[in-house]
Amino acid sequence: MADETPTAPADSSQTVPQSGGKPTMAVKVYAPFQVYFEGDAYSVSAVNETGPFDILPRHHNFLCMLVPCSLVVKPVDGSQKTIKIHRALMHVKADRVVVFVDV
Amino acid sequence: MRRPLEIKAEEASVRSVVSLTSALETLSSMQIAKTKNKVLISNQFFDEVWGIYKQIRVDVLFNFGRQVDEKLVNKELLILITAKGGLSGDIDQRLIRKFLERYDETKNEVLVIGYHGALKLKQSHVDYEYYFDLPEGDYINVDPLMDIIRKYAQSRIFYQNYISLSQQEIKDVDLSEAVSSKGRVADMDTVGDNLVSEKNYIFEPNSYAVAAYLENSILRLTISQFIYDSRLAQVASRFKAMSAAKERSIDTATQLHTEYNRSKRSQVDTRLKESLAGLKKIRAEGAA
Repeated sequence: MADETPTAPADSSQTVPQSGGKPTMAVKVYAPFQVYFEGDAYSVSAVNETGPFDILPRHHNFLCMLVPCSLVVKPVDGSQKTIKIHRALMHVKADRVVVFVDV
Repeated sequence: MRRPLEIKAEEASVRSVVSLTSALETLSSMQIAKTKNKVLISNQFFDEVWGIYKQIRVDVLFNFGRQVDEKLVNKELLILITAKGGLSGDIDQRLIRKFLERYDETKNEVLVIGYHGALKLKQSHVDYEYYFDLPEGDYINVDPLMDIIRKYAQSRIFYQNYISLSQQEIKDVDLSEAVSSKGRVADMDTVGDNLVSEKNYIFEPNSYAVAAYLENSILRLTISQFIYDSRLAQVASRFKAMSAAKERSIDTATQLHTEYNRSKRSQVDTRLKESLAGLKKIRAEGAA
């Protein structure tokens, strides 16, 4: 699962964006005509063929297909955003998480 | 010369054509703005997915996410994207003309999207194997289309491309080539650190499954993009056709109005002549 893999690739000099002392990452969840979420978040949780997983700041570069699930984003404002996914591709790189919905 | 009342009635009917074409022109103009905006929004999405695909793809050949041992129909599938109905100018007619230049009954099978195209094909005595309605909503489910495309060794798509409000062109491209050329990295050196490989990425479930999924996604996006492009070109063509029809009907109404004035003046002149003649006759009879 994604959250079991080693985090933070070699480059430790990389500055992680923070909010309230906690590291954050830029998250965008969108389809061709609709942006479901765009902003900074503490974590993203979803499900792929391997099972449920979480993405946290400083995650290793990651590319996976999501299975139908509820994607949960925890934005920096303390709320929780749940988005129902039918089919999607998730790309994680350098503290930027992009979920392409309906591809 | 026709009677003024007759001309007036004709002018009134032409004026209603002016109102109708004017309303359709406004409607098309609104649709263009809406569709264009959507195409622009979706392009950002498409570009980002294309960017990832470019970095992950390992070979130039695009194989439609097929299984290696899959048996294929040894014909070229010709796909036509046309409007759902009439009133879209000559754009569908131009597309059918271009299609007929290539069509060979023994080598091709036909898939048509849009009722207007299907109708035009029937008029040209071409039988099509598959038909789909032109999707109207934002989300286009192209999966049934992809299932058909995968069965064929080759597929070529005929679509309408929006250049400007006054210019739309008909294009035909080999689907595999379109995906390959779009996904081809011009200069491998420029990819550098961006290359997505097992060395610097985690793939789940594995890199092959992700690459195959992306290939399907790219095909899905490519077909969707062609449909979005065609829809934009169709509304632009409808706008052009409605503008031209409005101009023509305004000219006709103006001509009819002039003709009506002439006819009315001529009628008054005739009556005046008749009255004068009658008056002369009465005077002549009085003098006698």
